[in-house]
Amino acid sequence: MITTIGEIVRGDAAVFPPYLYEAYRSTLRRAPRLPLVEVPLTASELSRPRLDVSHVTAEDADLTRNAGTGGEALGQRIIVTGRVTDENGLPAPGALLEVWQANAAGRYIHKRDDWPGPLDPNFLGIGRCLTNAAGEYRFLTVRPGAYPWGNHENAWRPAHIHFSVLASSWSQRLVTQMYFPDDPLLGLDPIFNAVPDGARSRLVAAYAHGVTEPHWALGWRWDIVLAGPGATAFEAREQSAA
Amino acid sequence: MTPLPFTPSQTVGPFFHDCLLRVDRCESTAGDEGGVQIHLEGRVIDGDGAGVPDAVIEVWHAESFARIGTDAEGGFSISTTRPKRVQLDRGTTQAPHLSIAVFARGLMNHLLTRVYFEDDPSTESDPILRLVPETRRATLIARRVPDESLTPLYRFDIVLQGAGETVFFDFKSPAR
Repeated sequence: MITTIGEIVRGDAAVFPPYLYEAYRSTLRRAPRLPLVEVPLTASELSRPRLDVSHVTAEDADLTRNAGTGGEALGQRIIVTGRVTDENGLPAPGALLEVWQANAAGRYIHKRDDWPGPLDPNFLGIGRCLTNAAGEYRFLTVRPGAYPWGNHENAWRPAHIHFSVLASSWSQRLVTQMYFPDDPLLGLDPIFNAVPDGARSRLVAAYAHGVTEPHWALGWRWDIVLAGPGATAFEAREQSAA
Repeated sequence: MTPLPFTPSQTVGPFFHDCLLRVDRCESTAGDEGGVQIHLEGRVIDGDGAGVPDAVIEVWHAESFARIGTDAEGGFSISTTRPKRVQLDRGTTQAPHLSIAVFARGLMNHLLTRVYFEDDPSTESDPILRLVPETRRATLIARRVPDESLTPLYRFDIVLQGAGETVFFDFKSPAR
């Protein structure tokens, strides 16, 4: 994709997208123009908030039924699962994952999504769960559809699921999107392509037949590797320094 | 072992509200016991000087965490407890501050900034603030708004781009 790419990136520029990526037009008036100020991580960035997770229920991770209507969402039923770890493969247990997505027809229930794709009364398109002791998460949902947007002529977003991850420190905070392989729209999407070439494929889930459940749902695996040290790494360092 | 490659970030897009701002979300109330409440209000402003109506602000300090969406004019208002000094290393402390993350459509990675307080005497000597070019430090300092309420009110605008652009940080890990 030929476009103007800004130089301001937070984190590793081989991994993270630049703030200015002209082909994605919303970046033009929102990307900072002055260099980020580099400072050392401190205890503030390595603290872990004490979340009130009492609200999180098992039903929250089942997007096919969590609309609470008693009915089931339409579409191809899928299981999306994976591990959340740091770069050393250490699991992030107790991380809060929040997901949102369009329905199987590509429509969000959001009031600002008004294209004529059908709504599904049994699908809210939101879910959440906590990772287990091994850092694993699991959602049951329906495969989202592609949807049109106003970025450029005949623009369509490839099918994706938004993920928000709150793990063991503020430095590990991540919001991203998961895509599906073999989607012809991936090569045309400026949001996906804003990620550097070598890192893009990490946003794409892999079909996992071992996760697929017979007569029930297709399985997809997508692991998340968090940048930035976690609180436990910091504590260990503090102790070794003492 | 070869380190695993990081997962890149992507924008929150425009349709996050029902998920990230759901009524029964998991905000912590930690630190509320015995802490002094403060209000922080401001606007998120884009490069045209217009309010950003679809941003999400997260406020972190110590163990407490809050999340708020901006309104149609880009405004936000958050109640939290007044932060305390934080240790930097042995012998050095940081002035009280809030850590802020800004998410929005068009932000491919969240922006990180800090809120310091103009009426705290330690703000001026804060070791992180002193790493910021002097002419830009004011963008990180919340102004006390005269107010008759018992809860102190502070003003802090977040300018994403252009005149008065807020300082955003890239935190670097200590060498391992």
